[in-house]
Amino acid sequence: MRLQGLVGAAVVAALLSLPCQVFLSCQAWAFDDTLYPDLTGQWVRADASPAFDPAKPPGRGQQAPLTAEYQAKFDAIVADRAKRQLTDVLSTNCIAPGMPMLMQAYEPMQITVLPETTYILIDHIHETHRRIFTDGRSWPKAVEPTFTGYTIGKWIDTDGDGRFDVLEAETRHFKGPRFFDGSGIPLHEDDETVVRERISLDKSDRNLLHDEITVTDHALTRPWTVTKTYRRNSDPLVDWPEFICNEQLPYIRLGDEDYRLAEDGQLAPTRPGQPAPDLRYFAPAKK
Amino acid sequence: MTAFSDKDRTATTGPRMPLTRPITAITLLASLCATFSGALAFDETKYPDWKGAWRRVAVPGITGQPSYDPTKRNGLEQQAPLTPEYQAIFLENLKDQAAGGQGTDPTYTCLSPGMPRVMTTFTPFEILVTPQMTNFLIQHIHDSRRIFTDGREWPKTIPPTFVGYSIGRWIDTDGDGRFDTLEVETRGLKGPRSFDPAGLPLASDNKSTFKERFYSDKADPNVLYDEITTIDSALTRPWTVTKQYARLPVKQPQWTEEVCTEGNNDLEIGGQGFFRSADGFLMPTKKDQPPPDLRHFKP
Repeated sequence: MRLQGLVGAAVVAALLSLPCQVFLSCQAWAFDDTLYPDLTGQWVRADASPAFDPAKPPGRGQQAPLTAEYQAKFDAIVADRAKRQLTDVLSTNCIAPGMPMLMQAYEPMQITVLPETTYILIDHIHETHRRIFTDGRSWPKAVEPTFTGYTIGKWIDTDGDGRFDVLEAETRHFKGPRFFDGSGIPLHEDDETVVRERISLDKSDRNLLHDEITVTDHALTRPWTVTKTYRRNSDPLVDWPEFICNEQLPYIRLGDEDYRLAEDGQLAPTRPGQPAPDLRYFAPAKK
Repeated sequence: MTAFSDKDRTATTGPRMPLTRPITAITLLASLCATFSGALAFDETKYPDWKGAWRRVAVPGITGQPSYDPTKRNGLEQQAPLTPEYQAIFLENLKDQAAGGQGTDPTYTCLSPGMPRVMTTFTPFEILVTPQMTNFLIQHIHDSRRIFTDGREWPKTIPPTFVGYSIGRWIDTDGDGRFDTLEVETRGLKGPRSFDPAGLPLASDNKSTFKERFYSDKADPNVLYDEITTIDSALTRPWTVTKQYARLPVKQPQWTEEVCTEGNNDLEIGGQGFFRSADGFLMPTKKDQPPPDLRHFKP
């Protein structure tokens, strides 16, 4: 009996050291979503300001730590925007906002946590599919640059309660042009930006989500850290709007000139005295 | 729908047994695993494994732009069951396209292709399956879909969208305890939409309804089908086609980012299509096309 007991204990110990998935009945352990924070529902920006740093006034009030060169570029963008009477830098072209601007979440955000990847879906200007790979991969040798970037993340259990509570993410491999926010604070045109984030639920209110974003970029004199907050709408029947940027885009750019589409759909000037577009490629009207 | 009832969650829970023999230990461990698995909120093993990147399967011999019915070429060969009114619209569209215009293909200014055309999938796509929702992430123009599988009823009002409002239901067709088919119905559409780049039109009343069945090939789990039935006022009868997709044999797919407006030089002014030349000037798309009306500019 004693030997039997020892054998039994040894077998149990050996079995305990095996991954549970070796048992057919443990297939359900493929994904234990109770280990992760519940990020289901619809998230909307809780910050009153859509500026990059929601704690400061927009535009120059952001006090972005820009290098002298990029401060001059920003001043020129602000002046040009005022001259063309544009509310923001993306309003004329429907180009993807990219990182970090997309995390302002102008439109509702869906977050889906699966073991290999956490997905952040935002339908604003561009149908953004942010994939944060959490499968332990290394940085690939070659990555096609994108506005959204390539993101690798890691789930952390910061309080040791056996459940993950923070998603750390790092994003690289960008293309541009990109801006911090609609006021036009530029990121460097070398696109060597690195964005590091810590995404976590508020400890006292599980319907608030924080994203602490640190941007390292050659347009900046130092890393710039801000914290964005989102509020959950738990109504399962909440509407997910479809944002078709071009459907409502009132501008057409020809060369260096922006034109407006009037209510009748025809071209119209965007400023007093703007000349009509050059029609050199059309045959002269027959008399 | 009771896909996620407590009964389902505890179905594999085994009884506790005393530890008296090694075999008993194995049984205990197995049953412990099963017990813990019962605590899961999301038992993904009940669903088909549709992870990875999927790509449209081209039918050999079918050339040209991807067509709606993949077994036939674009255009008249589709033999779409159009009403006489929409057949006339389609023929006029083909003439316009032959002359360089866009006809009734509305996507040239980066409008969403909408349903059912998004399921032609011009780029690799991903399927996210969770209990409440299945997402189709299709990065093309604006093609992604949400299919609600939480048992909801149809809302009283649906804000119309190009991809529509989709409610789905998981089915275990062979009774093996695992879902294998996703049945979907889509309503609440807006337009203009066409079935394909050849401009095969859907009705302008946007009262389309789509019924789909997604399922894996029984012999090859790397093949997925979408059987789509379209009910639309432009058609004389429901029109059913089956799309086929293959899973890419890569562990870490390279997901592309398609930004339609980036480099798109097709423009619409006053309801007419124009082109922006490489040197930034407006150009006609058709022979002898007149320039746009410039009435809003002072001479």
